[in-house]
Amino acid sequence: MTSDNGLMTALRAPFTIMAVRQAVFCVVGVVSAAALLSVPAIVPAVGVLILWATGALSRQPAPAVAPVFLVLFPLTVALLVVLAAPLGRVMGAVHRSLADRLLDVQVDAPPPRLSKRVGAVVSDGPGWRAVGYGLLKVPLAILEGYGAFCYVFGLVNLSYPVWWPLFRNHPTGTRLGPVWALTPFGTIGTRTFAGTFLIAAAGLAMLLAAPWLMRAGTTLDVAAMRRLLGPRRLAERVRELQVSRARAIDDAAAMMRRLERDLHDGAQIRLATLAMNLGMATEKLGVDGPPPDLAQARELVALAHRGAKDALADLRDLVRGIHPPVLDNGLGDALATLATSSAIPVAVTVELPDRPAPAIETIAYFCASELLANAAKHSRATRIGLGVVRSGAYLMVTVEDDGIGGANPGGPGLSGLARRIAVADGRMRVHSPTGGPTRVEITLPTQV
Amino acid sequence: MRVVIAEDAAMMREGLVRLLTDRGFEVCAAVADADALRSAIAVSAPDVAIIDIRMPPTHTDEGLRAAIDIRRDHPDVGVLMFSQYVETRYATRLLADRPTGVGYLLKDRVADVADFVDALTRVASGGTALDPEVVGHLMRAGQDTAGVASLTPRERDVLSLMAEGRSNAGIAAALVITSGVVEKHVANIFAKLGLPSSDSDNRRVLAVLRHVSGG
Repeated sequence: MTSDNGLMTALRAPFTIMAVRQAVFCVVGVVSAAALLSVPAIVPAVGVLILWATGALSRQPAPAVAPVFLVLFPLTVALLVVLAAPLGRVMGAVHRSLADRLLDVQVDAPPPRLSKRVGAVVSDGPGWRAVGYGLLKVPLAILEGYGAFCYVFGLVNLSYPVWWPLFRNHPTGTRLGPVWALTPFGTIGTRTFAGTFLIAAAGLAMLLAAPWLMRAGTTLDVAAMRRLLGPRRLAERVRELQVSRARAIDDAAAMMRRLERDLHDGAQIRLATLAMNLGMATEKLGVDGPPPDLAQARELVALAHRGAKDALADLRDLVRGIHPPVLDNGLGDALATLATSSAIPVAVTVELPDRPAPAIETIAYFCASELLANAAKHSRATRIGLGVVRSGAYLMVTVEDDGIGGANPGGPGLSGLARRIAVADGRMRVHSPTGGPTRVEITLPTQV
Repeated sequence: MRVVIAEDAAMMREGLVRLLTDRGFEVCAAVADADALRSAIAVSAPDVAIIDIRMPPTHTDEGLRAAIDIRRDHPDVGVLMFSQYVETRYATRLLADRPTGVGYLLKDRVADVADFVDALTRVASGGTALDPEVVGHLMRAGQDTAGVASLTPRERDVLSLMAEGRSNAGIAAALVITSGVVEKHVANIFAKLGLPSSDSDNRRVLAVLRHVSGG
């Protein structure tokens, strides 16, 4: 039974989406390795081109040759030294995003560079580690390229019997050269239809072996990425924590400012107006005896009454914004309550074996609240799914809608959210192609 | 009496218009920001302007800056600052050049309609109206100033009310004592603080404030 399943898995492996994605990743890996190898050659190549164009390579060279070489060589070295680390960062970012999109593997970005000064650029640890990854990519790309080759040409070879009758239908007696097929062990040639089945068999073998080769290549590649493209060294971790601490402080200050502003422009002004109306009403009622202006007094008291209710509603909203009391009963209750106040129907699923830290619950709640509000404002969705599940030491919050997509992770709303999440060492992934649907995944550690 | 109101909270603005109209003031304009206030003052030349300190666009001190401009360009327009919190620095800035026709009240004071209208009238006619909170802050700041410590509690009450800008009659009403007693207290205070005695309420306020705020 198990071996049957294993066999089926092995047979099915080449025909999964994952195999295709891996193949794309491997091919891109080969291309990028080739590009990386060519980088150090660009400047000398341009130099040679200039020399050739200026006639320096002719039989009677111009006297400019020696000076040009003297300038070009150190220039090449200097450019490589200065540009290597920033280019390494860019290349690293591209590879991280490829791994994210194609392999569904997330590698955290290293902390940003401290400054733009040349010294900081040249001594940029993460940049140089990315360069190291670039160098390591060359042997990795050989393995990956081998896998991708087996995959692509496995498919091609497998199809030979189909093409044969289409192209080899010449009149009998025509002398034709053999048909060639590429395999990892050299080329196979055949002159007969039967021979194409041999090629197809080779193709099948290649196709079955390809996923494992690609998997080996990409696994090694991902391991290299984690070591070389992610945040690793203690100093970098410290730098990252400094950045997130600064954000936390900023956020706290901004929150206090917002709170002050909300109170100042909301409840406080309502209460002052209410007091004014009551003051006027008191005057209209007079000190004793029959009231001088009962009708006006009634109107003012009614106004004050309405004002008091508005002030209460204001305060209630504000209190909920600071910490929704229902959150004390757990994320499940809080999110269910939140969902009921959404204009778009929300399906909530919360599967948590135990409660995360209160701070994490609060962040998860506000993320969900913000994302629901965003969806209501921009998505034109007809339904929203809100899910919270526990995965190991992490909490996964997922908000997806069937709207028009196009959410911009760099926009003020989502980037602010990402900042708050980063403070708790969490991360956010936004998948929102134009035309939709939108899916936002937030991963938070369950403990602070 | 002609009034211009600058207050960005619509609810409060409308309430003030209603209150003042009811009390027989003529509200020439009720605006929501400092620029509109400047043009309203230029157009309608009112007796007094009620100005919220925090207004759009930055919600910091637009109103105060507008008030300082108005006091420079239209010296005969009284300016009553209206705020939700007390900031002694604002008060001293306003009083710095000329302590006439100026006031600084907490918005809460509008609840006591008579007191509020009284303060507004005082400012409109060139007097002073400082919020008890402002005076309290200034008095605490002036605690160590020579003389203040030697005042009796009652004299301190009188000093505070004087600093708010009240007349002898106003002080007498607030403390429920006769004018004669107030006059005696005032004379004692001026003697203890070593201030030249003065009949004018304005000069009196100035002297008292300069003294307590160490100016």
